[in-house]
Amino acid sequence: MTATLIYMAAGAVLAGLSLYRLATTGDLFARIVGLNVLSVALGAILLAAARGPDGTDPVPQAFVLTGIVVLVAVTAALLALAETLAGAGKGSRND
Amino acid sequence: MLMFDVLLALGVVGTAVFALFGKDRFVSVAGFMVMGLLIALSWLRLGAPDVALAEAAIGAGVTGALFLRSARRLGPLEVRRLSGLHHAAAIGFAAIFSGVLFAVLSQSNLSEGLTPMVADRLWDSGVSNPVTAVLLNFRAWDTLLEIAVLFAALALVVLLPRRPVWPTPLGDLFLPFARIVAPLSVVIAGHLLWQGASAPGGAFQAGAVLSGGLLVLVMGRVFIPQAMRGNALVAIAAGGLVGFCLAALAAEILGGAFLAYPDGADKAWIVAIEAALTLSIAATLVLLFTGLPRRAHS
Repeated sequence: MTATLIYMAAGAVLAGLSLYRLATTGDLFARIVGLNVLSVALGAILLAAARGPDGTDPVPQAFVLTGIVVLVAVTAALLALAETLAGAGKGSRND
Repeated sequence: MLMFDVLLALGVVGTAVFALFGKDRFVSVAGFMVMGLLIALSWLRLGAPDVALAEAAIGAGVTGALFLRSARRLGPLEVRRLSGLHHAAAIGFAAIFSGVLFAVLSQSNLSEGLTPMVADRLWDSGVSNPVTAVLLNFRAWDTLLEIAVLFAALALVVLLPRRPVWPTPLGDLFLPFARIVAPLSVVIAGHLLWQGASAPGGAFQAGAVLSGGLLVLVMGRVFIPQAMRGNALVAIAAGGLVGFCLAALAAEILGGAFLAYPDGADKAWIVAIEAALTLSIAATLVLLFTGLPRRAHS
């Protein structure tokens, strides 16, 4: 039980840190990293909450797994957009 | 073991600080990847090996590779000067959010949850790994839509103009490395796919490992996706979504309900769908990394 609480606390701290970073940075890349850390934090909290006496609830596990896969796709799309924006900012198309 | 948990949690928070506040993009990416591996270890401790595998392969591995690629292309870190009030407001907001999150969830009793319900119907799902049963049988509809999201993101990435994948060729040690890693990734992916029915593993983990092997070949310029190969990869990536949709429709016709596999044959259906998904996810992840090369200047 205590181990579960420790990981939940770590997840909450991670969420707080990434929210602070998201609120204060102007850098697109740092924001995307922040979003990824936030998602890991929420996954950690969900999994800690799903821990029960007879094992970890498989439904939240499936949620977090789905979240990881969706996040990598979103991250790739965001990074591609950030690169395009950076190229446009310099006044030259990236080719 | 409590000591281990405390140290692991501290390690996760410490590496996250590097990931979030690193002065250099590469410090940030290195911190993020190590954090991914440590958090995967902590999820193993929380009894979620399937998720831990996925986080290590996709969260730390593939996302880390994507970050490294972009860190090269984006310029130096943009620093924003903010007033003390702005910082104080951000700290207050973040502290309240994480405090409330922890207070509410540590008190709530989610522990019973759906575990008994899944355990009750597990015999009917065709597989003995409860997470695979939820993903591919009880909540297969969610997974189908997840694959659709993957494909939508892929469409966006493919439509944007891109630069060549990896500008400099790798050194002499690359080929011996690739000779070991690329075939090994195929074997491990096959193993993860097959054992996903009864033990931790499954299509997502297998697809991520397979894409890792392919990316090694791409980065070493052994496998440079030319226009035609790129199109083949897009076709394989689409194959997962198309195959899953066809399976859903076939189940509708045969069993009378959307995604309700015929009795007794659940395992065969699940493994067939997962095999198509594994190839599709591997192709999608590679294309998300490389973008679609243009036919024009070859």
